[in-house]
Parts: sequence; structure tokens; C-alpha cells
Amino acid sequence: MMGGLALAAIPLPSLARMPFRLGLTPVFLDNDAEIIERLHQALSTAMDREIELVQRRTYAEVTGLLLTDTLDAAWLCGFPYLQHADALDLLAVPVWQGKPLYRSYLIAARGTQATGLSDLRGATHAFSDPDSNSGYLVTATDLIRMGARAETWFSRSIFAYGHRNVVRAVAEGLVDSGSVDGYVWETLAKVEPELTRGTRVIGKSEWLGFPPVCVGKDAAGNEASRALRQALIGLPESMAGRAALSALQLDGFQEAPAGLFDGIARRMRLLES
Amino acid sequence: MNRALHRLTTLPLSLRLPLLGAAMMLLVGIVASQQVLSALGRVQDARLQELARLHVEGLSVALGPLVLRRDIWEVYDTLDRAAKASAGRRMALTAVADDGGRVLAASDPRQVPIDSAITGFAEGAVALDQLSVGARDETVRLIAPLDYQGRMVGQIVSELDVTDLQTERRHALLFLLLGNSLATLILAGLGYLAMRQMLQPVTTLARHMTGAEGAPQRIAEAEVPRGDGELARLTRTYNGMVDAVSAKAEAERRLAERERFVALGRLSSSLAHEINNPLGGLLNATDTIRNFSDRPDVVRASAALLERGLLHLRDVARVTLEENRLDRQDNHLTRTDFEDIRLLIEPELKRKQQALDWQVTADAAKGVALPAAPLRQIMLNLILNASAAVGHGGQIGLHAMAGDDGFALEVRDTGPGLPEAARARLLSDALLTPGGGVGLRLVRDLVSGLGGRIEHAREDGTTRIRVFFNSMGHGNRDRADA
Repeated sequence: MMGGLALAAIPLPSLARMPFRLGLTPVFLDNDAEIIERLHQALSTAMDREIELVQRRTYAEVTGLLLTDTLDAAWLCGFPYLQHADALDLLAVPVWQGKPLYRSYLIAARGTQATGLSDLRGATHAFSDPDSNSGYLVTATDLIRMGARAETWFSRSIFAYGHRNVVRAVAEGLVDSGSVDGYVWETLAKVEPELTRGTRVIGKSEWLGFPPVCVGKDAAGNEASRALRQALIGLPESMAGRAALSALQLDGFQEAPAGLFDGIARRMRLLES
Repeated sequence: MNRALHRLTTLPLSLRLPLLGAAMMLLVGIVASQQVLSALGRVQDARLQELARLHVEGLSVALGPLVLRRDIWEVYDTLDRAAKASAGRRMALTAVADDGGRVLAASDPRQVPIDSAITGFAEGAVALDQLSVGARDETVRLIAPLDYQGRMVGQIVSELDVTDLQTERRHALLFLLLGNSLATLILAGLGYLAMRQMLQPVTTLARHMTGAEGAPQRIAEAEVPRGDGELARLTRTYNGMVDAVSAKAEAERRLAERERFVALGRLSSSLAHEINNPLGGLLNATDTIRNFSDRPDVVRASAALLERGLLHLRDVARVTLEENRLDRQDNHLTRTDFEDIRLLIEPELKRKQQALDWQVTADAAKGVALPAAPLRQIMLNLILNASAAVGHGGQIGLHAMAGDDGFALEVRDTGPGLPEAARARLLSDALLTPGGGVGLRLVRDLVSGLGGRIEHAREDGTTRIRVFFNSMGHGNRDRADA
């Protein structure tokens, strides 16, 4: 008892000073230091707490860190969220062009004759990440619907681990085509038009749930998680928040509506079938 | 080439030597330039190899694990970032292949697509230690193993841009050419002046050797180089030789002059007889006139005899005087000259009871513009020589004739023939041997001086010496035993 009291009495300055660790997957322009910095400032200010933004190369790495509580929260993709839906909770979802939705784009190098996935047989293709919805799942399941498999449809497929990398790989001629996040491609078309100019969108998927910010189920209701949700949803209300959203080309964040990821779930089932 | 060489050899020494010096400098310049360029090439090659080795080593470290995992994107991204970091620099294009030779990625995938065979891009590529800038291609290709953790996991093929190194080499060549040309030009000019200065005594010597009259001239003491150098000694020796030649010419001139008196001396006793013999008759004629003064027919006959005798004596005296006259150098040969010579030598020949076959055609001297004095000396000497050769009772002949091509004179005798020494004196410029006399050599010198030529023949016991002068006053070279 004494021990328990002692423990309760011990102030937790060390814990209090620990920064909030938010994992980032390459769902957006994670290589843009200015965007990262603006997001960092906006969230730190809103949460009144030091934020540590943690970046890893793959979705799997970030998801793994979140599942092992190394991260307090993470901006994941709908696909890995659904893969670990039993262990993760949705905290908020970005709003892009007025909706919490986005699409997967199939892009090809400018100058090629391909008009769709069916024309890309034997081509070289770049995926973003094996755990990315727009950067893998959509194209893989479209091929399944066509009765084909990504491993054999393309002469060579690579993972570029980043939507911007996919656009680069196609634009710079490393591969003939790529699967990319539509939101990233559209944003790049505004901020780096010389990059997207080398590519051409030859296919767009249906609207799907935008990559969400998730927390572990155990932390879903804690103060830090609630503070992050408030900070995200309240970003449009502060100057720093608006600057961050402007950099991200997003309208804001909202709570995820029910059934937002049903489309992705259907594709997952198709992939597993 | 030969013509150019010939033209070069005809240039003055004062120009040839500086030109030779300039040519040597040019040669040295070319060799030195070649050495410099060669050294520059080696330095550039070493620099290129060092750079390429760092490039390969850096890529090996960065790409080793990526190649091992076949992480195409990361390989490409690394190459792309490396290429962008060195944009406009040495590495123009780099491709990385796996251990099977299949391209994983290249800094420009459009040129070297993924999954293509690296052998296509590696064509003409050389190993690191054989890497050289070369002179023709703007790029060179390097192939190197990609080692990771002690084993080869792939290959790196890089295309290196060497245009800047080639430009550097071209600039070096240009600077060397300009520098060497300028240096050669300046030094050749200085060399020319220095050589000209040094060769001034030689030029002076050459100028004096062919003086204004075509004869060697003495070099004035003021122009003799100072000191005791080779050129000073050469000039002094030359002056000594010129003095000796002048002395020799003067001696020969005096000798020739004396020879005329010698010839007359040889005739003097005959001439004395020629004068003395008629004197008795003439004195008898005066006695006859004195004794038979009352007989006009006897007086007339004696006076006529006296006149003929005196005329003969006058002719003998005139001829003798004529032979010794020194002021008839410009008189041309006439028929009278032949008669004079005959008059001079006949008493001597009579004394020796020698027969003279005298054939002088009427127009022998007509149209022949030859000076009389040397021709008389030539005839006199040749006839006296023949007379001495044939001995008592021998036969001597003289034949003079003029033709379209000039004038010919032949003196023949039935003597034993000219001995070798006498022939050498008459037909060559060989040095005179002591004791041989100078009569025949004088003939040779006089004939040469008049542009004539001498021929000697021995036929059927007769010695024939022929002298020719062509119509232009020039003869041909001597021909012995023609």
C-alpha cells in the first residue's frame, strides 16, 4: 500500500516532459521539410506539448511501432488500419476537397500510348508500398478483377516507398507506370508541376476513405489522444494550423464517418480471396 | 624535297646556321612539348583514376546492401542523388547491375533501362587501372566490381565526361605551340644576329676571296679579328696565301718577260751572223763603188747590192726591235707577224741545217682578233722548242690557218717527242719541276689567257702541237694525245 502510495505520490515529470510521438507514413509529401515543420508547430501549439514526428520508410515499420506502443499515434493508410482494426482506433480523418475521401491514380510516363491498366501488360511498374491502399491494393485488386496478378502482369514491379517516389520513378523513366495516391499526385501537380508533367493519369479508382490518424485501442480514450484529436480537428482555427493545412493542401480533419473504409475493405477481401 | 635541300645548301652560311639552330630548337620544342603533354596525360589519367576509384568505392558502400536486396528504387534514388550532386561534373551516367549482369538501375534509366544486360552499356568500358582520358572520345567508360562484405554483388559501369580534361590538354598544346613558336622565333632571331656577328670574318674572307677583279684580295688589318682565335689565324693565313699568290704571279710575270729575252738570246748568235755575213759583201760593194766610181753601171749594181743588204739589215733590226717592244699589246695578229717570226728563226734553222715547212695561208690572220704579242711569243717558243728537239738536220713545220670556227696553229717536228715533264708543263697546271725551263709553261699560260686550247699528238715519228682559238676568243679545255 505504502508502495502504491509512494508510486502515486511520485510526480511524473519525466513522463510529462516526454514528447508526444506521432508516426507519419509516406501518405503525403513526407519528404517536404517545410510541411513537416508546419505540422509540427501547429500540433505542438494546439496540444501545448512537444510533438515528435516519427518517420519510417515503410508503412509496416510505422504500423509496427504503433502496435507496440512505441508511438502514441500514427497517420496511417486505410489498408493497414483495416489490417489491424482490432488493435487500432480511428482518431481523425483528413478532409480533402470537402470530403474525407481520395482516389488511387494509375499513371504512365508521358509519351506512352497506354490508356489503362490493360495496356500495361509487360510494362515495368512502380508501387508505393505493399501496405498502401492507393499505392498497391487498388491496382492489385483491379488486376485480380481482370483475372491477372501483379507479379505476372508486369514484367517488373518495384516498391518505391513513397507516392512522390512513384511519380519520380515514372517521370524519370525508371518504370513505365505507377500506382499513386491521387491526393499526392494532385498536390504535386500544384507544387511541383515539372515532376507531374512527365506523367499522365490513365486511370482513377473509386472514391475511398482518406488515410486516417489512428491510435492504439488502449490509448484511444486517454488525454493525449483526445488532445491530438482536438488539435487536428481544431487546426483551421489557428494560424499555425491553417498554415499547416495549406501546406498539406487539406481542408481540415474530422471524425471518421461510419463505413468510410468499406471500399478498401472490399478490395482487401478480394485480395485475400 | 631535293630542290628544297639544294636551295638550302646554296644559302649563305650566315643564314644557314641560324636556320639550322632554329630547326634544332623547333625539334627540341616538339620533343619537349611531347614530353609535357605525355606527363600531363599521365597526371590526368592518374587524377581520373583516383576520382573514379573514389566514385566506385563510395557507390559500393552506399549501394552494396541495396544491390544485395535488389532494392531497385533505392539503387536508383542513390544514383540519382549522386548524379544531381555532381551535376555537370565528371560522372555523366552510372549504371548498376546485379551479379548476373542485369541492370538494376541507372542514373538515366531511359538510356540504360532496368533489366537490360549491362554488357550493352559496358561495351568499350575499361577497368579502373586502365582508365585513360584519351584524345578522341568525349566520354570514357569504366567497369568495376561492386564489392560488399568481401564479395562481389554486382557491377558498376560509369560513363565519365572527360571533355574538360581534353580541353585542358588542347589548351596546353596550344600554349606550348605558341610559347615554343615565340621562343623559337626570338631565339632564332638572336641566333641569327649572333651567328652573323661570329661569321663576319668568314663573310669578309669569302668576299675577299672573290674580289672585284675575280682574284683574291688581301684583308685589311682593321678587318682581321682580334686575338688568336681560329678565325684570326685563318684570316692571317689567308693574307699570307694571298701575298704568296701575288708574289708568285709577279715572279711568273717577270719570268715570262725574261723568257722573251731568253728566246732572243738563243737567237742572238744567229742574228749576229745574219748581220755580220752581209757586212763583208756590203763593204766589198762600197770598195767597188769607190774603185769603179767612173763606171756608172758598176756603181748602180753595187748600190743596188748595198741597198738590198741594208734593207735586210734593217728588217733584221726591225724584227729584233719589234720582238722587244712592250707597247704593242693591243695590236692584232697580222700576216707580217708570221713573216717576222720566220725572219727571226730562219738564220738559227739554217745554222742547224734544219728544214722548215712554212705554211701560212694568205688569210691565216684575217678576221682573227687575237693580240699579236702573245701569239708571236707562242710561235717563237714552240718553234725554238721544236728546233731544239729535232737537232741537226731535222725537219720543222709550221701551219697556220683561219677557219669559220677560229684560228689554228700547228708546230710539228721530227724529234724524239716531248718528254713527260715537258708535256706536263705544256698541257697541265702541275707544279713546275726545277730545271725544266718555263718556255712551254709560258705557252700554256698565254694560250689559257687568250681562251685557247692546246692539243698534243705524236704520229708517225712526228710531234704535233696544235693551238686552237675559236672565233669568240675562247678555247676548250686541254686534250692530250688527241
